[in-house]
Amino acid sequence: MKRFWKDFAEGDLWVKGSCLVMGLGCLKRRQIVKGLCYLAAEILFFLFFFGFGWKYLSHFLTLGENAQLRVWNEDMQIYQRVPGDNSMLILLFSVLTIAVTVLFVCLWVMNLKSAARLCQLEKAQKHIPSFREDGRSLLNERFHVTLLAAPLTTLLLFTVLPIIFMILIAFTNFDANHQPPGNLFTWTGLQNVTDIFLGNATKTRTFTGILGWTIVWAIFATFTNYIFGMILAIIINHKLVKAKKMWRTWFMIPIAIPQFVSLLLVSRALEPTGAVNVALMELGWIKTPLPFLTDVTLSRVVVILVNMWIGIPYTMMTFSGVLMNVPEELYESASIDGAGPVRRFISITLPYMIFVTAPATITTFVGNINNFNVIYLLTAGGPASLDYYQAGKTDLLVTWLYKLTVDQHDYALASTIGIFIFMIVSICSLTVYNRTGAVKKEDMFQ
Amino acid sequence: MKHSVNKRKLRASIGLHTLLTVLSILWMLPVFWLLISSFRKEPGAYTPYLWPKAFTLDNYVRLFTDTRLFNFPRWFMNTLFVAVCSCLITTILTLMVAYVYSRLRFKSRRAIMNISLILGMFPGFMSMIAIYHFMKAIGLDQTLLALILVYSGGAALNYYIAKGFFDTIPKSLDEAATLDGASRHTIFWKIILPNSKPIVVNTAINAFIAPWVDFIFVSVIMKDNYNNYTVAKGLYTMVDKANIYQYYTVFCAGSVVVAIPIVLLFIRLQKYYVAGVTGGATKG
Amino acid sequence: MKKLVALLLAVALCCTALAAVAEDVTLKVWDGQDDQELLKELCEAYAAAHPENSYTFQYGVVGTADASARYLEDPSAAADVFVYPDDQLIRLAQADALYEVTRNHDAIVAANSQGSVNAATYQGVLLGYPMTADNGYFLFYDKSVLTEDDVQTLDGILAAAEKAGKQFNFDIANGWYLASFFLGNGCTITLDESGVQVCDFNSEKGVEAAKAVAELCAHPAFLPGDQNILTGTIGDSVCAGVCGTWVADAIKERLGENYAAAKLPTFTVNGEQVQMGSFGGCKILGVNTQSASPVEAMNLAEFLTSEERQLRRFEVRGYGPSNINVAKSEAIASDPALSALAAQSDYAVTQLIIGDFWTPATAFGNALIADPTVDVQPLLDQWVAQTIGQ
Repeated sequence: MKRFWKDFAEGDLWVKGSCLVMGLGCLKRRQIVKGLCYLAAEILFFLFFFGFGWKYLSHFLTLGENAQLRVWNEDMQIYQRVPGDNSMLILLFSVLTIAVTVLFVCLWVMNLKSAARLCQLEKAQKHIPSFREDGRSLLNERFHVTLLAAPLTTLLLFTVLPIIFMILIAFTNFDANHQPPGNLFTWTGLQNVTDIFLGNATKTRTFTGILGWTIVWAIFATFTNYIFGMILAIIINHKLVKAKKMWRTWFMIPIAIPQFVSLLLVSRALEPTGAVNVALMELGWIKTPLPFLTDVTLSRVVVILVNMWIGIPYTMMTFSGVLMNVPEELYESASIDGAGPVRRFISITLPYMIFVTAPATITTFVGNINNFNVIYLLTAGGPASLDYYQAGKTDLLVTWLYKLTVDQHDYALASTIGIFIFMIVSICSLTVYNRTGAVKKEDMFQ
Repeated sequence: MKHSVNKRKLRASIGLHTLLTVLSILWMLPVFWLLISSFRKEPGAYTPYLWPKAFTLDNYVRLFTDTRLFNFPRWFMNTLFVAVCSCLITTILTLMVAYVYSRLRFKSRRAIMNISLILGMFPGFMSMIAIYHFMKAIGLDQTLLALILVYSGGAALNYYIAKGFFDTIPKSLDEAATLDGASRHTIFWKIILPNSKPIVVNTAINAFIAPWVDFIFVSVIMKDNYNNYTVAKGLYTMVDKANIYQYYTVFCAGSVVVAIPIVLLFIRLQKYYVAGVTGGATKG
Repeated sequence: MKKLVALLLAVALCCTALAAVAEDVTLKVWDGQDDQELLKELCEAYAAAHPENSYTFQYGVVGTADASARYLEDPSAAADVFVYPDDQLIRLAQADALYEVTRNHDAIVAANSQGSVNAATYQGVLLGYPMTADNGYFLFYDKSVLTEDDVQTLDGILAAAEKAGKQFNFDIANGWYLASFFLGNGCTITLDESGVQVCDFNSEKGVEAAKAVAELCAHPAFLPGDQNILTGTIGDSVCAGVCGTWVADAIKERLGENYAAAKLPTFTVNGEQVQMGSFGGCKILGVNTQSASPVEAMNLAEFLTSEERQLRRFEVRGYGPSNINVAKSEAIASDPALSALAAQSDYAVTQLIIGDFWTPATAFGNALIADPTVDVQPLLDQWVAQTIGQ
């Protein structure tokens, strides 16, 4: 940075002029294409900023002042509407404009840096890289820039900006009663956060209750699948079992059916008059139907069981793959010590399997915290509870969030919860990821 | 002595096979039920008896010919188109990102990797409203193109498995090529990719399947534009409160039609799937 | 000759004037999936009746149940004219989604039944064109099992059903149906003058009603479950159930000659018979305030809800009309479902709910199904507290 300031201060008029007209320094040192690109970027930015961005950004602090008006139109005999400000579009496009401006400032600094450097190169009478040489470096030394450009742009547009937008929504009163374009919404500060944790007992109870169940669910869902999937894989790969591939395929078929279909069927089958109850009653095992979906404990057990139905084939496939690939060296060293098959399994196969599948297990755990499909499609969060605000006893944070957004249009509350889910999940997984062997030893095999 | 060992083995073998048979029946029951419902003659989502009174092929015929209310053939083609496009884009983007994180070292690498990891954990549908309005601003709302962009837009977040796989490809290969004067660009296309078939296939399958099973994103993007629905959204509307009585069995038939290609893909490409989950710790 | 030229000239002038006025109007219309064909037919009839403009119609598939949710996602992309049930009126009005009916206001009010006009009115302003008056529920039953006397009382139905080894289906876990016990026993859920939700389901009367619900739940001939259960089992293991006109066709198909419908029965409170109440409502055509051509949209909405079109809607889809003349016609009177609905309408109230009524209602229903002996007072208190937003 210091060097840049020095270079910049020593630079000639062309370098300083690059502050105002981008690309000037490059154009002067015969980097015509690069210079023109900078210039074009500047022009495009100002067109965007004043043609589009400013009309939203200027309302960013209030999120709009003019509500939609109702004016009597004698000719038409109607109360015509005069469009007012649209708070949501103001917020959304302000975020976009700010992001574009930040990018532009980065580009502007790059432009100054390259102008100053070129000036120094010229003074030292060194070779000034041509456009072609720059291009070649993008395929080699700076190949990461080329490869990351497209994915990171889509990431910015489709993930980062929307997330910033949603985070900001948490600090507004955007709900069903403040719905643009008919109404305005505005900043309310930490209102939603205090509402969940202090102001509203029902919401506090709902949040803590659902959070507790989400964690219990994630632990059970992950480890039941892990253990039973491992057992199933060991059985299928046992040397006495014939037609291994057929068995594996058999278990794969159910998970190839889209979950919204299979879970809908299962959910219907579990109703008081559904197939499971009818079958159990015809067998004479029960007299009255079991309330699979309406009893709290039973429904929680049911979602975990059904999740096993969906998840075990996946873990079974994973463990099959691992079992077939346990490095022979490990066994060789063990058989010298004369270990029996059980010992061999416990002291070699098992630790190896756990080690290899650790990253996948963490991903599954995080996935289960956000496991929308199984809960939403099976019980829709039910049984509904009188203790909870718009939620039921099997609701996870993520399904509650979905219901608040889609059914209640309570975006502000949903965003607040979304931020909390996000914080919990990301802190957990970042610590774990950066501690697992796979990351620490990423250079091990190379 | 030998005789009794054999006997024990036989008993164990019978036990294991019986267990597997029972389990696989349990696992296949819902599938079987879906199949018989799709051939059931009586309409309705629910019957008080388990076994249908009569069977028919009508549900499948209606699915493909009765397009007045539910244009299943069109939705099928929409989904196929979206799936193929987003599969291509996603695969290329994911592999590019994974390669960068695995092989290239640059200043903000670790930071970008961690941020991507975290971003992937934000509940996806929360960002849908914003994406919809971005799409609308550039005139792409309610189009298949928007859907392709949505499905492939998050590609940079799913680098984890592919990166794990690339990590296991010996770096000596790269070094030898560099000595021969190959640029990193050449190394990526000529050395890394040909050695990564399992992970390429795995990424592609996952990207291909996503549009067939998602009904949430497509609802937000397509809204009322029913001609651009995908099969998942279309089938989901068949079991709406208003339609379910008439269309439940047709819905089952449609689900079977959607499931068949996915089942075939899974069976055919099983080993690549395993490679994906274990992130290259095993190579299929 | 001169006169002829002048006449021709005048005609030509008029034609050009007319042609200049002719506009290209694009209107988007929403209705449910199974109403699409009829909707197209009626819209084309409108275009044919108005040759002065050229119309392009876009048809969106949005069922009435989802109308306000889909509308609020993006009002400017929503339909110009869309069907919504009266229970979504307040939500839409609060979002300033609906144009007031100002053109031909009096004629529209005069043509439709008082109840349907009330249901389309919020704070004294008519916010849509009543289209049907059948958004309510009543009793379907199997004539071969139950007599007309049996269906007068809930006890009669249950007794006869039990004797025949059959069941009675009622969707207790749905606030819409569940409310009929409370409304029948004199409880109210409504808005006060300032638009605040009031509800007294936890009063003494409410507890009595809840006990009646609990008794129903405890009865061996009672079968809970939604309309899928009813349409799947009636005529088989079920002999009667409560639902609306939208399942009438399916039930008619299953019951054949034994198909019958009646108003809701009475139930027993402290040894006396009390008539079950209900929510009654209508489906309304609304005009989107974001519409680019509001006047055209209003004309279309008026056309689609006119007497002739309501008759056609009944003929094709069996929907009960809100139009007074159509409602009086013989065809409607001989339709069992619609006459049962009409009989029930004397005990029906308009649904005025803005609070969180539905989710706790489901929780309450499920609690009683799970354990009919539970103490209802605390449950009712929680339900009401959530409904009125405390």
